[in-house]
Amino acid sequence: MAPRAPSQRRDDVPAFVLHAWPYRETSLIVEAFTADHGRVAMVARGAKRPRSELRGLLQAFQPLLLSWFGEAELKTLARAEWRGGLPLPRGSALMCGFYLNELLLKLLAREDPHPRLYAAYERALAELAAGGEQAALLRRFELGLLTELGYAPMFAREADTGAPLDPTADYHYAFDRGPRRAEGAERGAGPRVRGATLLALAEGRYPDAETAAQAKRLMREVLDHHLEQRGVESRRVVQDLLALDGGEGQR
Amino acid sequence: MERPLDLRPVPPGEPVSSLDELARALRCLPGVGPKAAQRMALHLLQHDREGAQRLARALDAAAKLVRHCERCNTFTEEAVCALCRSPRRDPGLLCVVETPADLMTMEQTQAYGGLYFVLMGRLSPLDGIGPKEIRLERLLKRATDGTVREVVLATNFTNEGEATAHTIGELLTARGLAVTRLARGVPVGGELEFVDAGTLAQAVRERRSFDR
Ligand SMILES: [Zn+2]
Repeated sequence: MAPRAPSQRRDDVPAFVLHAWPYRETSLIVEAFTADHGRVAMVARGAKRPRSELRGLLQAFQPLLLSWFGEAELKTLARAEWRGGLPLPRGSALMCGFYLNELLLKLLAREDPHPRLYAAYERALAELAAGGEQAALLRRFELGLLTELGYAPMFAREADTGAPLDPTADYHYAFDRGPRRAEGAERGAGPRVRGATLLALAEGRYPDAETAAQAKRLMREVLDHHLEQRGVESRRVVQDLLALDGGEGQR
Repeated sequence: MERPLDLRPVPPGEPVSSLDELARALRCLPGVGPKAAQRMALHLLQHDREGAQRLARALDAAAKLVRHCERCNTFTEEAVCALCRSPRRDPGLLCVVETPADLMTMEQTQAYGGLYFVLMGRLSPLDGIGPKEIRLERLLKRATDGTVREVVLATNFTNEGEATAHTIGELLTARGLAVTRLARGVPVGGELEFVDAGTLAQAVRERRSFDR
């Protein structure tokens, strides 16, 4: 049987590694987020060998150019090149980076291109590496991700009526419809939040710690709803760390 | 000579030949598939019975006797390993590494005279490995015994190793300890032209003042 020429070859696609898993003795399975083809899974053969050039390269958060081939869902990595220009996030920014990667891994379908989201991800990593303010950045990315996937949360106006929100009133946020006035609402109508929090999320500006904390809690519930209760491991790890330190969460 | 071994699951109550069982057992080794396991089993029985006996005894002894050192968590057969008991090591220095292999590599440098703590892993949030999974509280207890002055973080320079170093660093500085991290940069004898760009970029970012 004559070997078939590698089909569907893609060359030098800007990409980030989201995560890599060991595969057999010397290889890795890499989940990458690529500019043109969305999330792509590929085998990096021999990447775990001591002298492999891929060893240090297939790390998350560094801009790469990836080339791969194959028609099946699992591609074969042909080449990886370091693109550079972005310092690696450090410290708590690194933890935020893991969280972004986990969201992309769990919410993006394979080979579903999202160039705008890719740009937003690249921007978020640059801000994280530059030591930018983390909470607002995470909320912005979460919202951008949901919007890109067609689950755009409706924060600025009341569901059904379209009336502007009253910052001082309380609302129930229904995941598939939006906010409704809390008074007179039926039970189980979604998490209860202040109008000010919803408006802050809509504008991406968090005037005080209480609003920021409530926005974080609401986004967590919205994301959990879309994740269909598959837990977010990186979030749990951060919570365990905070428990170990006896501290209170900031993101 | 190589008859194909039967590697299918054995129905309950069915006797398994020792040869098949050996091949099956060998497959627990990393990178050993059915073919390789069969080759190894046949080799041992055909050419090296004595080697097979030795292997069996060594495996049995290691699996029974090897445990974790109470002080540094590395593999040992005693409650406290020889390195931790050595009077020649500086007990004020504690180096944190991910694996026993990392400890051995550090020892080969002959550049470090303190003691160790082996995590037996690293934080990897996306794999669900957090502080509980690597039992970080044991390190905190060990490092705050009153004797340790400085903790040297020698976890890998991967994202997971960096996250682990950062986390431990935060926890221990908050407890009043001096914490240092291995430096990184261009390898010894490295010519810039041949150093990988990622390493060089990091070396530029972490450049230090020129001391005369
Ligand atoms: Zn020891």
